[in-house]
Amino acid sequence: MSVKYGILTLLSIHQNHGYDLKIELESLLGANVKINAGQIYTTLDRLIRDELVRLVGEDDQERKIYTIEPKGVIELTKWLLEPVPYVSTRDSFHFKWSCARKIKFDHEEKMLNQQKLVIMQDVMELTKLKTECLLNNEEDKYLLISGALLHLEADLNWIHQIENRRYK
Amino acid sequence: MIQINNLKKEFKQGKSNIQVLKNVDLEIQEGEFVAIMGPSGAGKSTLLQLLAGLDVPTEGEIIINNNYLHEMSERERTIFRRRNIGLVFQNYQLLPNLTVEENIAFPLHADGKSSKDKMYVITELLESVGLSDFENTKPNLLSGGQQQRVAIARALVNNPSVLLADEPTGNLDRNTAEDTLNLMTKFNHQYNQTIIMVTHDIFSAGFADRILLFKDGEVDQSISRKEENYAKYMANFMA
Repeated sequence: MSVKYGILTLLSIHQNHGYDLKIELESLLGANVKINAGQIYTTLDRLIRDELVRLVGEDDQERKIYTIEPKGVIELTKWLLEPVPYVSTRDSFHFKWSCARKIKFDHEEKMLNQQKLVIMQDVMELTKLKTECLLNNEEDKYLLISGALLHLEADLNWIHQIENRRYK
Repeated sequence: MIQINNLKKEFKQGKSNIQVLKNVDLEIQEGEFVAIMGPSGAGKSTLLQLLAGLDVPTEGEIIINNNYLHEMSERERTIFRRRNIGLVFQNYQLLPNLTVEENIAFPLHADGKSSKDKMYVITELLESVGLSDFENTKPNLLSGGQQQRVAIARALVNNPSVLLADEPTGNLDRNTAEDTLNLMTKFNHQYNQTIIMVTHDIFSAGFADRILLFKDGEVDQSISRKEENYAKYMANFMA
């Protein structure tokens, strides 16, 4: 999913060849994400089939150059405007906790406690990173990290709520 | 360095004794930023009061940079506090009849120093906290965030080695709280000041190097930032 819309995003900026798209897409998704070249080319083939992207020819190094079609721009705009549903119930800890409740797991308190500590550690690390982004004027990254921190805070508050209700 | 050994604090309530702190053992390094969290009544603020020398322990030792606080008289503790400890509170505690500049200079007078000799320190602090244009303003004309910045400047005017903050962002909105914490972090790095901050919210605690979770008068957990995780996040966001 992200490969398709990532390619549309990049091609909406300027036409490009497959290898460059791979590199730019990896950077857009974060350094830990590696995309294999095959995935890029099969996605490009599908985008051409659906008339969202068009092959314009080859550059001087015989690399195929792709460009976005008007239909592709409409598809990209539609995707960007589509709100993202809340997915946290599918999040691994929520699922794990549901399983624990289902079997009336003896160590729920320990499980919650350990999760809390991990969240707090994540908060400390991300806060340090956020401060560095602020000092380096990296506004977009600063805002992304602020968003991640708000999610972590919500997770922590949720665990507090479970604890409060357990001991009621 | 701050060393706390076997610290106990009891308060009388009617006929019984309430143990607010039980056997607290702690070591806080110079320049460390520590956040203390925990439910109400866990002993967090009592610990700050003892560290500030505003109260005395029932038992145990508090050693701040080789000064044995628990052995000092009240007068000695007051002098020690003025010279070594900066205090920041949730409700700022500024003197309403004094201007911003006079509030910041106040600890100097209390210590018998002339603020004229230290004018450059005050000017520098006003600049650091972004209030150079407000030196003659009275606190009631300032926003909550600005008042807290005055309070931080006042806490730092004597260049204390330790800054104790009790819910410093408790009355501030999120953006103002972030500015305040960035300011505290800046001073922590710039002057290698040790900061001990009591807070109820993880957003503020995230600025610390270590979080201590208090429960029933004891340190229940100690959480430090792990460098390997930090590297993982760097890779994720810095791509």
